[in-house]
Amino acid sequence: MSQNKSPLAGLYDWLDERTGIKAGVSAMLDEPIRGGARFAYVFGSILLTLFILQVVGGIVLSLYYVPSADHAHTSVSYIQKVVPGGALIRGIHHYGASAMVIVAVLHLAQAYLFGAYKNKRELLWGSGGLMLLIIFGFAFTGYLLAWDQAAYFGTKVGTSIAGEMPVVGSIQQKIILGGNDLTTITLSRFFTVHVFLLPLALAGLAGLHLFLFRRAGPAGPFHNRDDHKTERFYPGQMFRDTVAIAIVFSILVWLSGAMPAELGPVADPSSDYLARPPWYFLPLFQLLKYFPGQLSLIPTVLLPGALFGALFLLPFFDRNPERHPFRRPVAVGVLAVILLSAIGLMWLSKVQDHSDPEVAKKLLEQEEEQRGFFNAPFKPQEIGAAAVPAAAAKPGAGTTVAANVPAPPPAYVESCADCHGDKGQGTDDGPDLLGISAKEKRTKEDLGKILEDSRAYGLKKPMPKNFPDLSAEDKQKIVDWMLALKK
Amino acid sequence: MAHAHHPEHPSNDAPTERRSFLGFLSMAIGGLISAVLGINIGRFAIGPAFSGSDEGTWLDLGKLADIPEGAPVKRSVIVSKIAGWGKFNDQRLVWITRKGNEVKCFTAVCPHLGCTVNARGENFVCACHNSEWSTAGALKGGPSPRDLDTLEHKVEGEALRIKYEDYKQGISQKEVV
Repeated sequence: MSQNKSPLAGLYDWLDERTGIKAGVSAMLDEPIRGGARFAYVFGSILLTLFILQVVGGIVLSLYYVPSADHAHTSVSYIQKVVPGGALIRGIHHYGASAMVIVAVLHLAQAYLFGAYKNKRELLWGSGGLMLLIIFGFAFTGYLLAWDQAAYFGTKVGTSIAGEMPVVGSIQQKIILGGNDLTTITLSRFFTVHVFLLPLALAGLAGLHLFLFRRAGPAGPFHNRDDHKTERFYPGQMFRDTVAIAIVFSILVWLSGAMPAELGPVADPSSDYLARPPWYFLPLFQLLKYFPGQLSLIPTVLLPGALFGALFLLPFFDRNPERHPFRRPVAVGVLAVILLSAIGLMWLSKVQDHSDPEVAKKLLEQEEEQRGFFNAPFKPQEIGAAAVPAAAAKPGAGTTVAANVPAPPPAYVESCADCHGDKGQGTDDGPDLLGISAKEKRTKEDLGKILEDSRAYGLKKPMPKNFPDLSAEDKQKIVDWMLALKK
Repeated sequence: MAHAHHPEHPSNDAPTERRSFLGFLSMAIGGLISAVLGINIGRFAIGPAFSGSDEGTWLDLGKLADIPEGAPVKRSVIVSKIAGWGKFNDQRLVWITRKGNEVKCFTAVCPHLGCTVNARGENFVCACHNSEWSTAGALKGGPSPRDLDTLEHKVEGEALRIKYEDYKQGISQKEVV
């Protein structure tokens, strides 16, 4: 080691002598890019980074997440509402999933348009297609883990679709569910698949994909203009990749803050929750409406099967060496039709949800409920029976409240007591109402308006829903009862 | 793949200055992303470990008259503790010695390394590392750094109440966790 070398360079030499790290690094950084560096080539790097981001985020989330039906939802709620940085890390994981679907489709569409599957790249292309399927598998299994209403009912529909397949359907469904119903066992196996099996599969395939890519070399531009030019990956392409990754990362961070990852109330199998799939499954969902009974196999099995079958076989039957998209009108046309139909179906499903007043109302209610839950402060789950607090054992204590409280009207018991207590004493979910009429801005008129629409009234912490289902008479009774409540 | 040029000698290597500038910029952006991520992962992983402080709560041990005099009596209490997403109501053991109206309550947690303390004859013992205390809680031998930890108690009417708290282990002073 010479005297004028920095200690860092010295350490690098030391390491290189023992590991050959320099050759490894230059093998990575000196990858030749035919035709020179371009922003068009950033998608693969973005996907790899997103995958790493999902793995890191997932590992961190597992610090608090519990894959059990009776704790999963509370633990996710705890992550989202309480843990420092929790909303951000869960947000990145949530939106990162969508980002992976989007970028994977872009990557695939580009490879298709640029004819990059041609010229002995069948395995490279096929491994990419498999990875897209795995990404959908991640999305499907990850969706259930929060165990809220949307997760439960969405997965119920998804697993029922698996059960509709001829011959293997019911067996397949039982295996997926781990029984006859969607239970905590289903949650456990979705967790296992999501957290252990799929990451291993995707990591292995990504490694294979990269290996095949480096072996075949980049396809390069589809025209011959820049053929004289070759650039190394470092620094031009690496810089472009880094900029693109920074943009995607910034969007994920921004989304996590501006539109926090959703979490609704805990799954309630007895409710009539109206399930709507996440956006990437909307085309399938919409198609289901047009194929009743046995015909539903067409959108659920045959169509996706045909699409992916064609995808895997494409490099084998398309032997035309031409790569320029303008000279492959059929190929470009097919992709355009597929993408436009998918977008059209998504749009159509949204339009139909808005135009059906029943559905629109129900979805709006669910949204309100979700917002109500989301904005409510976190409440730890009670495990085991709590001790009777010493004070309550005192004779006389605890009865003073009840003595002053007139019997509440039935409508109160029905609609309000869950949160405000059966005697207006309040619970963890709602403030007490004792002596409310003595407070500022809580006159008879105010209370009436709050009951009418707590949001319109401008209540700082509005009630989870408004109560148009209460009759005017009931509301009046409740207001009168509240006015009589003394502290 | 038939390359027009040998990959080891790309034809248009950028000038060294531009090379190192773009390389530096990439590292800087990558570093920034890692920092944003790293800081938040750190907050996420470590934050909740420092957020909790458990306040002791007064718990009922039943009627004082029901506790026999003389030998130590073992009772369990339900202690509620918030741990992350849950409020866990777990049983903890308490040792009580009574002479008339004079009562002493001890936790059953050894001040040495936290094993469970038992009564044996005229002594309290911790079987893990053979610490011994008198029934009054005074250290008689073994590696325990201090006397058995007493719990604050009071008698209200007929009822005996204690304030259950956890104490730090391995130090000579009694200190609430």
